[in-house]
Amino acid sequence: MSAMRQRYPEHFQRFGRDRFVMAAIGVGLFALLIYAMGRLGFFDGTLLSGLGRLFEIVGLMLPPDPGSWAHVKTYSISLLETVAIALLGTLSAAVLALPVALLAARNVTAQRVVRFLSRRSLDTIRSVDILVWALIWINVVGLGPFAGALAIMTADIGSFGKLFSEAIEAADRKPVEGITSAGGSHIFGIRFGILPEVFPVLMSQVLYYFESNTRSASIIGIVGAGGIGLHLAEAIRTLELQQTSFIVLMILVAVAAIDFLSSQLRFAMIGRRGGVSV
Amino acid sequence: MSTHVVRLPEAQLQPLLAVYNASVRSRRRHTLLILACVAVAMLLASISAEVSLSKLAENIHRFPSYIVRLFFLENGQPVWTDFGEWFWGLQRWLRLLGETLLMAYVGTVLGAGVAFVLAFLAAANVAPSRWLRIIVRRFGEVCRTVPTLVLALIFVISFGLGPMAGVLAVIVHTFGVLTKLFAEVIENIDMKPVEGVSSTGSPWHVAMRFGALPQVMSNFTSYTLLRFEINVREAAVMGFVGAGGIGQDLVEAIRKFYYSDVSAILVLILLTVAVIDMLTSKARHRLIGLEGKP
Amino acid sequence: MLRLEGITKSFGGKHAVDGVSLTVPVGQLVGVIGRSGAGKSTLLRMINRLGEPTSGRILFGDTDVTALRGRPLRAWRARCAMIFQQFNLAGRLDVLTNVLMGRAFHMPPSRALLKMWTDDEKAQALSALEGLDMARLAGQRAETLSGGQQQRVAIARALVQEPDIVLADEPIASLDPRNTKVVMDALQHINRHLGITVICNLHSLDLARSYCDRLVGMSGGRVVFDGAPAALTDATARDLYGLEAGDVVGHAAPPPMLPAGVQPGFALAGS
Repeated sequence: MSAMRQRYPEHFQRFGRDRFVMAAIGVGLFALLIYAMGRLGFFDGTLLSGLGRLFEIVGLMLPPDPGSWAHVKTYSISLLETVAIALLGTLSAAVLALPVALLAARNVTAQRVVRFLSRRSLDTIRSVDILVWALIWINVVGLGPFAGALAIMTADIGSFGKLFSEAIEAADRKPVEGITSAGGSHIFGIRFGILPEVFPVLMSQVLYYFESNTRSASIIGIVGAGGIGLHLAEAIRTLELQQTSFIVLMILVAVAAIDFLSSQLRFAMIGRRGGVSV
Repeated sequence: MSTHVVRLPEAQLQPLLAVYNASVRSRRRHTLLILACVAVAMLLASISAEVSLSKLAENIHRFPSYIVRLFFLENGQPVWTDFGEWFWGLQRWLRLLGETLLMAYVGTVLGAGVAFVLAFLAAANVAPSRWLRIIVRRFGEVCRTVPTLVLALIFVISFGLGPMAGVLAVIVHTFGVLTKLFAEVIENIDMKPVEGVSSTGSPWHVAMRFGALPQVMSNFTSYTLLRFEINVREAAVMGFVGAGGIGQDLVEAIRKFYYSDVSAILVLILLTVAVIDMLTSKARHRLIGLEGKP
Repeated sequence: MLRLEGITKSFGGKHAVDGVSLTVPVGQLVGVIGRSGAGKSTLLRMINRLGEPTSGRILFGDTDVTALRGRPLRAWRARCAMIFQQFNLAGRLDVLTNVLMGRAFHMPPSRALLKMWTDDEKAQALSALEGLDMARLAGQRAETLSGGQQQRVAIARALVQEPDIVLADEPIASLDPRNTKVVMDALQHINRHLGITVICNLHSLDLARSYCDRLVGMSGGRVVFDGAPAALTDATARDLYGLEAGDVVGHAAPPPMLPAGVQPGFALAGS
C-alpha cells in the first residue's frame, strides 16, 4: 500500500484533497440548511400546526365542486380568456422578439456594440418578473386581460430574444457561405441562408412557451390582469375551498390539453416534410 | 467568349415552368391556410382578452413615462443624485432579500431531496413497482402544473402570512419539476452496472447506490443548480401573495406608487439574480469540467 | 487571366498557405492536388475572398481582387463561382430558389427578398437545371435530394452566375463513384464548351490526371509541383501524399462507365 502511495503520490493526494473539499462543502451546505430552516420558522411549531390545518383544508377541498352552473359558465369564460391571453402574448412576443434576436446574434450583427446593447436589454427584460410587468401594464391600460396579454408579451420578448438568438447563432453557416460565395449580400444570406433553416426551431420554441404561458396567464389574475386567476384568488380568500379545487382542476386540464396540442404541432412540424414555406 | 447558359426552347421550358409554379402555388396555399388559422385564432383571442389598440395607442406614452418616473426621487431629482435617499430602506430590503435567498435555498434543497428519492421510483427502467411509478409520476405532474403562487395562496391560509408558506410552495413545485427531470436522467443511464450489482444478489437500494447513482450524480447536481436560479426568481415574487421575501415590499411600492422604491428594489433583485446566475453557472461549468476528466 | 502573387494565410503563427504564386490562363482546367490539410481549400476560399489572405495579392486581369470591398467585392464573387464539398445549399428552400441564389448579386433586394422572381430568371435557372437533368426536381426541397443531386443543384447555381471562373473545393469528396463521374463530367463540360476557367481541388490523383489540363501539387501550404498531368511521376506523387499515397495512387479504381441512358445530357453551349 505504502509502495503504491509512493509510486503514485499525486493520485492519492488529489483524491484525498478532493474528498476533503467535498466533505467541507457538504457540511457547510447542511449547516446553512439548518440555519435557514430555523430562520424561516421550521422548528418553532408553525410547521406542525400549519400542517394540521393544511390537511383540514385539503379535506375541505374535496370533492371539487363549482357550487353552481353559473359559476361553471363564469369560470369557463375566464379560462378561455386565460388561454387567449397566453396566445396573444406568446405570438406577439415572437413577432417582436425576432428582430431583436437578429440584432443580438453574432452571425447576423457584426457590430459588437449593437449586439451587447440588445443582449443586455433582453437580460433586463427577462429578470423582471411577469407579475411586475403585469402591474406596470395595469398602470398603462388599466385592469383587465389586455394588461395580462401585454405583460406576457413583454416578459416573453426577453425569453424569446435570447432563445431565438441562440438558435440563430447555432444555425449551419454553410448555406450562408454558399450565398455569399455567389455574390449575395448579407441580407440575402440572412433571408435565404439562415431564416428558413432556423424557422422550425423557433416555431417549436414558441409552441413550447404557449403551454408554459398558459400557466403564467392563470396567475396574473391575482394582481388584476385578467383570466381565471382573479376567480381563483377570490375563491381562496373567501375560503370557498371546493370551488378553489374545481378551478385548479380546470387549469390543470387546460394546461394538459395545450401541452398535448403544442407537442402534436411541434412533432408535425419537425417530423413532416413539406411544411410551412418561408 | 460568352458564358451564358443557353435558354431552353419555349416548348420545353413552359411545361417545366408550369410544374414548378404549381408546386410553389400548392405550398403557398398551405402557408396561407395556416396563416389564416392563426389570424382567426388571434382575432378571437383579441376579442376575449379585450384588446383595444386604440386604448393602447392612447395610453402607450404612460409606459415610457412610468419607466422614467422609476428613476426619480420624491423631490424630483434623479435617483443617482442621492443614493442614500434612493436606498433609504437598504437595511430592511437586504434582510428581506436574504430571506428570499434562504427561501430559495431551503426550497431547492428539500424539493431536490424528495425528488432524489422519488425519481428512482418514477424511472421506468429501475422502478421497483409499476403502480408506485404511476402514482409518483402523476403526483409530480400535479405538483409541477399547479402554479407556485396558487400553492402559496393555499399555504398562506394554513400557515399564515410569512415565508413558511412561500418556502413550502417552492418545495412542492421544485419537487414536481425535478422528479420528472431526475427520472429522465435515470432512464438514460447505462443499465449494465446496475445489473452487475444486482446479479451479486444485492437488494434494490444497494443496486441503485452503486450501479445507478454514480452515473446520475453530476446531472442531478446540474439540474438542481439550474432550479436554484429559477427558485430565486420565484421566491422574489412570493411576497405578492404574502408568502414572504422581498416581494411584499416590491408589490407594496408598486401599488402605492413609491416609484424610487420600486426601482431600488428591482435593482437589488436584478443584481442578486445576476450574481446567483453567475455563481451557479460557474459551479455547473466546473462540474462539467470534472465530468470531462478521466 | 488569374494571377496569385505570394499568397500567404496564417492562423496563429502557422502558415496554412505559404507564399503561393500561380498564373492561370483563361479556359484552363486546373486540378489542385495534395493531402488533406495541405492548404488547398484555404487557397480556393481566398480566391473567392471567403477567406482573407494574410499577405500577397490576387489579380484578375488588371483588377486587384484582394483590395475589393463592398459591392465590387460581391461583383467579383458573382464572377467567380464556388462549388463546395458539402454543397452549401439551403436545405429547406426549393431547388429553384437555391439555383436563383446564383443571381443574388444581380437582383434588387426589394423584390428578391419576397421571392418574387421574374419569368426570365426562372427560365434561366430551369435551363441550367435541365442541362444537369434536374429541372423536374425544381420544386423539391434541396434537403430531400441525394448528395449527387444536391451537388448538381450547386453546379446549376454556379452556372446562372455566368462566371468567368468556377472554383470547386473537393466537389466529389462526399459522393459515390457514379455521381463523382456525373459531377466531374459537368465540370469538364463547363470548361470545354463554355470556356470557363475551372480550378478544382481534388484528393484523388487518378481523377485529377484524367480530367485536368494542369496539376498543381501542394504540400504544407506551398506549391511543390506545377505542370501537365503526364509530368507527374509516381515518385513525386508519393512525396506529395506521403502516408496517404496508398489511398490515391494505384489502388483507386477508375470511375465506372455509366450506361448511356443515365448520362445527363447537356443543353449548355458556348455561343
